[in-house]
Amino acid sequence: MKIFVEMAKCENHGQCAISAPNNFELDSDGNLRYQESFGEEDLHDIEDAIDSCPLQAISLDRDPTYA
Amino acid sequence: MPERGPLIGVVGAGIAGLRAANALLKRKDDARVVIFGDENHRTYNRPGLTKKRYPNSGSPKSELAENLKIKEVENDSVTWRLDTRVEEADLSGKVLRLSTRGTFEYDGLVIASGVRPRTSAEVGRECAFHTHRTLRGLDDAQYIHDELRASKKVTIAGAGFVACELASLAGEYGCEVSVLETRRSGPFESMLGRNISQALRRWLVQHGVTFLTGDSARQSMCSGSSEALNPESSSDRSLYVEAIGSVPNVEWLCGNGLDLSDGVRVDEYMRVPEREGVFAAGDVARYPDPWATGSLTRMEFWKNAVETGELAGRSLASALGYESEVSQIKYFPSMSTEVFGLRIQIAGDPKACDSMEIVRGDLDRLDQGVLVKFLREDVVGGVAYMDEGARYNRLYIELVKALKAR
Ligand SMILES: Cc1cc2nc3c(=O)[nH]c(=O)nc-3n(C[C@H](O)[C@H](O)[C@H](O)COP(=O)(O)OP(=O)(O)OC[C@H]3O[C@@H](n4cnc5c(N)ncnc54)[C@H](O)[C@@H]3O)c2cc1C
Ligand code: SF4
Repeated sequence: MKIFVEMAKCENHGQCAISAPNNFELDSDGNLRYQESFGEEDLHDIEDAIDSCPLQAISLDRDPTYA
Repeated sequence: MPERGPLIGVVGAGIAGLRAANALLKRKDDARVVIFGDENHRTYNRPGLTKKRYPNSGSPKSELAENLKIKEVENDSVTWRLDTRVEEADLSGKVLRLSTRGTFEYDGLVIASGVRPRTSAEVGRECAFHTHRTLRGLDDAQYIHDELRASKKVTIAGAGFVACELASLAGEYGCEVSVLETRRSGPFESMLGRNISQALRRWLVQHGVTFLTGDSARQSMCSGSSEALNPESSSDRSLYVEAIGSVPNVEWLCGNGLDLSDGVRVDEYMRVPEREGVFAAGDVARYPDPWATGSLTRMEFWKNAVETGELAGRSLASALGYESEVSQIKYFPSMSTEVFGLRIQIAGDPKACDSMEIVRGDLDRLDQGVLVKFLREDVVGGVAYMDEGARYNRLYIELVKALKAR
């Protein structure tokens, strides 16, 4: 499974970074940085991030080329 | 043994209702779930209504709807009864009376009817000066985006989250924006206190908003009572949006002996104590505050609706006798909003605190980042972070984690 953020939707609200700090962060300009791959132990946090994003921009397992 | 699974009614097609339905169906796939919604849309991402502009006028309506779609609605085990309002519930007879004149008998019920904007003027009313609207649903938002795209003048009554996001959106569309706040002196004052509120007010003013308070706000308020001189022509009328808080949608539950004093009172498992097999979730549910023993809380946040909705679905599955883990609600409030490029993040419960302390930054330079903690009897009970960038984001996350781990 991979994390996929639809960057056209993301408005850098950073709620994901609070839910899953191992996988998402905002850089010093406030833009989202994230890692596509993750360890099983982070899955719960990532699901929390998916639910918390006010733009509903995050999903799992979607290949961006088919989005 | 009945041949078919239990029949479940979900009142409200928002995220709380949908999550409850999906959580139940995950554990009990022969349950038959019917979701009633008085909007003509399946569940969509409500917070997204005000999060960005839709500048293309081609087919803007569908663009907004398309953008706010959420995947979970594609569950074929659910029957959607849209454009259908539940007018009345008889919880002892287990029957709902519908706006379509039909009735619906259920074995289990989820109350997820959310809230609606509080209003003083009739929605949609055209007075001599304004078209009066509120903002809650997709249809409201489509109308408002259209009006803002035409760069109208807009007056917003209220200075809470919806009001400020709308002011920011309107400013970005190029509209002339006035905000009227009669009871407080600035945005989010009841939550973040006077100092931060004043800084936010200055931020709005710096970005071109006319921000009126007190008597000058009162004088500009419009109750819509003046008669429209020329009801046909709306071109000379400006948009007036009331965003002065909300009212829980509970009227349809009256007469059943429930505690409806502020939404629907439930226990920590989202069960309505007075009635077996009845649950409530989302903006409408008032439950025991996991962070303050002895008090009840009702939250109007997306993630709260997700969590309470899921829990209601799990509790319902368990009440129906199916294997389902249920644990007490432990939603931790954390939200974010953006107002003229300033990201505002709030976690915990600053409202319940009695003092604040600036951890980083200066309230006169919000753009440079300000990190604040709120204390209640010297213990941290909330944090807030405002910034154009993310200078102190790491520190903010650490504070939030510490708060959550209390
Ligand atoms: C403009 C705006 C921006 C927001 N931004 C954010 C944000 O950034 N972050 C955040 O956390 N939260 C935000 N929120 C709040 C968030 O959207 C809500 O907390 C969440 O959507 C609540 O979900 P719900 O399912 O409880 O209620 P709702 O989404 O209100 O769903 C209830 C549904 O039930 C329907 N209904 C009511 N009564 C009946 C009846 N009798 N019969 C049939 N149907 C009925 C209603 O019409 C509605 O469609 C925002 C809200 C608005 C309006
Ligand atoms: S929470 Fe959503 S909008 Fe915010 S940074 Fe993460 S993905 Fe982007």
